[in-house]
Amino acid sequence: MGTLLTTSIAAIFCAAFLAPWIHRVLGSRAGVVLGLIPLGAFVAFASMVPTVVGGGNVRASWDWIPSLGIELSLYVDGLSLLFLLVISGIGTFIVWYAGGYLNGKKDLGRFYLYLLGFMGAMLGIVASDNLVLLFIFWELTSISSYLLIGYYCEKEKSRKAALQALLVTGSGGLAMLAGILILGNVTGTYEISKLLAMPEGAIAAEAAFPAIFVLLLLGAFTKSAQFPFHFWLPNAMEAPAPVSAFLHSATMVKAGVFLLARLHPCLSPSPLWTSVVAPIGALTMLIGVFLALGQTDAKRILAYTTLAVLGTLTMLLGLGTDLAVKACMAYLLAHALYKAALFMAIGSVDHETGTREVDDLGGLRRLMPLTAAAAILGALSMAGIPLLFGFVSKEYFYKALLDVPGPRGLWEVLGVGASVAMVALAATAGLKPFFGSLKPTPKKPHEAPWVMTIGPLILGVVAIFFGLFPGWIGNQLIGPAAGAVLAEPTFTAGLKLWHGWTVALALSVLTVALGAGLYYLAPKIRAAKTLYAFLSKIGPERGYEVILVGVLGFAKWQTQVLQNGYLRNYVMTVGGFTVLLLLWLLPRNEFTVDLSQMVPTSALGITICALIIASAFMACFVKSRFAAILALGVVGLGIAILYFLFGAPDLAMTQILVETLTLVLFVLAFQRLPLLKEFSKLSTRLRDAVLSLIFGGVMTVLVLVAFHFKSSAPPISGFMGENSLPLAHGRNVVNVILVDFRALDTLGEITVLAIAALGVFAMLKLRPSTKSKGDQP
Amino acid sequence: MNSVILNATNRLLAGLLIIFSVFLLLRGHNLPGGGFAGGLVASCAFVLQALTFGVASARKLLVFDPRTIIAIGLLIALLSGLPGIMDGLPFLTGMWDKTPLPIVGKLGSPLWFDLGVYIVVGGICCLIVFSLGDELEEESNPKHEPDTKEEEI
Repeated sequence: MGTLLTTSIAAIFCAAFLAPWIHRVLGSRAGVVLGLIPLGAFVAFASMVPTVVGGGNVRASWDWIPSLGIELSLYVDGLSLLFLLVISGIGTFIVWYAGGYLNGKKDLGRFYLYLLGFMGAMLGIVASDNLVLLFIFWELTSISSYLLIGYYCEKEKSRKAALQALLVTGSGGLAMLAGILILGNVTGTYEISKLLAMPEGAIAAEAAFPAIFVLLLLGAFTKSAQFPFHFWLPNAMEAPAPVSAFLHSATMVKAGVFLLARLHPCLSPSPLWTSVVAPIGALTMLIGVFLALGQTDAKRILAYTTLAVLGTLTMLLGLGTDLAVKACMAYLLAHALYKAALFMAIGSVDHETGTREVDDLGGLRRLMPLTAAAAILGALSMAGIPLLFGFVSKEYFYKALLDVPGPRGLWEVLGVGASVAMVALAATAGLKPFFGSLKPTPKKPHEAPWVMTIGPLILGVVAIFFGLFPGWIGNQLIGPAAGAVLAEPTFTAGLKLWHGWTVALALSVLTVALGAGLYYLAPKIRAAKTLYAFLSKIGPERGYEVILVGVLGFAKWQTQVLQNGYLRNYVMTVGGFTVLLLLWLLPRNEFTVDLSQMVPTSALGITICALIIASAFMACFVKSRFAAILALGVVGLGIAILYFLFGAPDLAMTQILVETLTLVLFVLAFQRLPLLKEFSKLSTRLRDAVLSLIFGGVMTVLVLVAFHFKSSAPPISGFMGENSLPLAHGRNVVNVILVDFRALDTLGEITVLAIAALGVFAMLKLRPSTKSKGDQP
Repeated sequence: MNSVILNATNRLLAGLLIIFSVFLLLRGHNLPGGGFAGGLVASCAFVLQALTFGVASARKLLVFDPRTIIAIGLLIALLSGLPGIMDGLPFLTGMWDKTPLPIVGKLGSPLWFDLGVYIVVGGICCLIVFSLGDELEEESNPKHEPDTKEEEI
């Protein structure tokens, strides 16, 4: 089972990297073929259901950085499995859909790469057992989301939205990393399964818990677009429809909810949990439906309702009762099904008619019957109409709210209010375009190709199936998932379609009735544009913009000060800072200069030193730049000889080679510089002289006292020298360190060198010679 | 640069430098040398060629684009870390053949790693020098505004 799990996730990543090639070979059929891989993964994950229902779990683990407690470990329990199935199942349809939606676009191969790469990363998040591994996958989803939102990269709006999503979720991710590291430090493990096995309340009792809690929450809330970070999600709707359907409704934005659910047993025993998570969720839910009512673009309506649902899920987790968690899992599954279907259907409408404005659409059911059927099923499920799974999930949502301990009324009113709006919004976005009279649209509408209708239709049918047999899905998926969140492996969901004449049922009826009423008021609300424009001006997005402008301004200022393009200023800054640091540090230590420890040197050594000093002075005073360069070359070669005299032939050789190449580079660059006509003013030269003297003096002192500062630990050179031959079969210790003992460092260094060289190349070759094509807005 | 001496010596030196660089690479594990030094020496051969006959000629001699070479070198260095993983040891663990080969000596994954370093370093030097060289050759038909800023030293 463990191998199957690893293979499935690895296969998605492999498919991602092969996708551009497959697309080149197969052309427009590539989407159908590529979709088979997530389908295979879905089947593989589905085969794990019996194990998980039986209370078991699936694991796979490899050592990665054991010294830091970081392992490549995967772990699937009920919660992971629910997400794995949603991601791979909906992912299959999304890949097929994308093949139709973006058919003929030249970057489609690249799109598949990003999309499948995202899918692999998302599966990785939900299957990770190690928090550090989870973080890596988490960041991968942020990056692929950035690339996917910015898919229409020629549009400025897309690029801006992509950057905004990346910055918001990326900063949250960094906070989360800090939280993970503190959590790992405090508990001594990064393994989620071990954290969950700790006694209840142990982590919440730690002194560092509030910091851990806030930092992890920042990660989850930015990712799941909770207030006040909600603004990036609607803007992300600049992405193509399959991306919005997949990342920004069904899967990625739920990663935050997943994290909360995953760590629920660790974090929820604290009073902080209920007092922070539930109110923020409720606030996001209300803001979501309120802003959704003001939208005229069907896709943005769906985006804001996604926000509301994410708020609802967070709120339910925050309440944290058995019933609330069960409702959360059911709501999550219902939402993934109907929202993906609706996004795809609206994407098809946009694709075939050229508009998404709800007031310009109508009567499409005859022209696009399949799309209409899918959208209607989605909308009915979203509205919570009986026989669809959305009804069951909303029933349990109400039951959970009625069951919350504490004062009556508040949660119920909030929940019913949001659901009423959801009914009206479902009708506006999912029903209105298909009923009524046909309206003129930019393109003459006709049915979308089958790859674009099959996904939403199947999702709609599945919603009916789950709606009719909630007990079955409850036992297979919802129960184990809720059990994992509650850390009660024996938890059973026992979802039922009908549970008598209850208050929840009455609320459901009331919701639909009020929702239908609100639907008729909706056009008036949509028309109140000034109110919404005003709100967007004072919303948190304004804060984001202010911060962004501030950071850019600061970056510009400090670049002008520090990176001013004058090499001599760089040398001055680096030298001056080193001197300051040393002058601050040296007097804080007691030391004596012990000249007796100095090694006697030969006459040759003294001669070389004299030569170096003479050349250095010559470099300062000659009138020709070429002569100065040669004089500096002599300094470098002199130092190489000193290395050699002190028994470091490797260093000496490298020094000579570097010196030679530097000289060549100097000579090459030197031809571009103007002749030395004007010399610096006397004051500048005096300043430089003083700085050089101070720098030289401090360095001399540092070398003289270096003997004094001996670390208490034995020097590592002994180990290297003794083990070089027996362990690494090499007598040249320097080389053995470079290619064996410290090979990873070297790998990092050559990578940095390669990037630096590419930077040089880019600066020299890719700069625009004339002002070329600018931004097309 | 039109220099008879440079022309004549280059013909001799280029080949010798390459051979010497391989020599440095191979002896590096036991005696002074290694991939870094070897790579620098190898790049010297191409830099010399660029100085003597122009960058275009040096590019031709190098066959591959320096960027491709850097990528290949990084890939070799990365792959040399895999044999250890195959045996269940950490990434980049040195793995050695039991029987030494003639001339080369014992073969092991660190040699492959060093070969990667050699190729990356050589590629980097060539990339930088060629890019600068191209820039200089453009000087003959200047496209950019000449730097008129007063230069201090």
